[in-house]
Amino acid sequence: MNEEELIREAQVGNRKALAELVKNYEQTVFNFAFKICRNKERAEHTMQETFLSMVKNISQFSGKSKLSTWLYTVVSNHCLMLARSNKKYGYTSLDDDDALIDEKNVADWDVTPDRVTENNELKDMLDDAIQKLPHDYRIVFLLRDVEGLSTEETGKVMNLSIPAVKSRLHRARAFLRNEINASFNYE
Amino acid sequence: MSNKDVTCKDVMSHICDNLGEDLDSPRCVEIKEHLANCDSCKKYMKSVETTIDFYKNYNVDLGEAGHDRLLSFLGIKED
Repeated sequence: MNEEELIREAQVGNRKALAELVKNYEQTVFNFAFKICRNKERAEHTMQETFLSMVKNISQFSGKSKLSTWLYTVVSNHCLMLARSNKKYGYTSLDDDDALIDEKNVADWDVTPDRVTENNELKDMLDDAIQKLPHDYRIVFLLRDVEGLSTEETGKVMNLSIPAVKSRLHRARAFLRNEINASFNYE
Repeated sequence: MSNKDVTCKDVMSHICDNLGEDLDSPRCVEIKEHLANCDSCKKYMKSVETTIDFYKNYNVDLGEAGHDRLLSFLGIKED
């Protein structure tokens, strides 16, 4: 069965079809949730809540948007809600564009991106950098650059205008690049 | 606008805004010309691309146990 058929079957109570849909998206949802909260337990909790929401609401799914976009929206909203209820983190302000781009600190990065798979020190560095970003910037960066959604899709998920998505993306990229640059002791 | 009017800061900002998107506008043509001749901007662009690739490559695996816990949680575990 293709996805449309699986959704139709799940909507009339076919548990196998529902389980198949869950299986098709569980890894994507878990990974995306982890990339936002940088914690496996919280990512698993978010994944479970996301699919619980899917199971409860599948009958209302109209198919106007992709199921994946709908799942990204549920994960994003869940993480934003958790972040708002847990204000212990002091996020960096990204209001000053000029401070984000420092043309004097441009080093030649002598690293290859695939190093991250086996390098725990680098993973810690990436976790630290992204956790300083406010959640709305973090999620825009992850949806657009990491998950590969279009600017329009990212705007829909986050309920943001296209200029607002672009502004957050631009600032998030520059901020993360600067943080990693500093961690590499290039400045 | 002459190429001299484009500064490294403009380029870096524009790269950040448009990485991976269509760069065919007159402004972007100037940016590309600047980029072709500016080592500093090339390094900056590469570092932004590497940053994105780092986060793309940093993945976690749910695993069989996580899959089983999810289906049990949802009450749809196959027997």
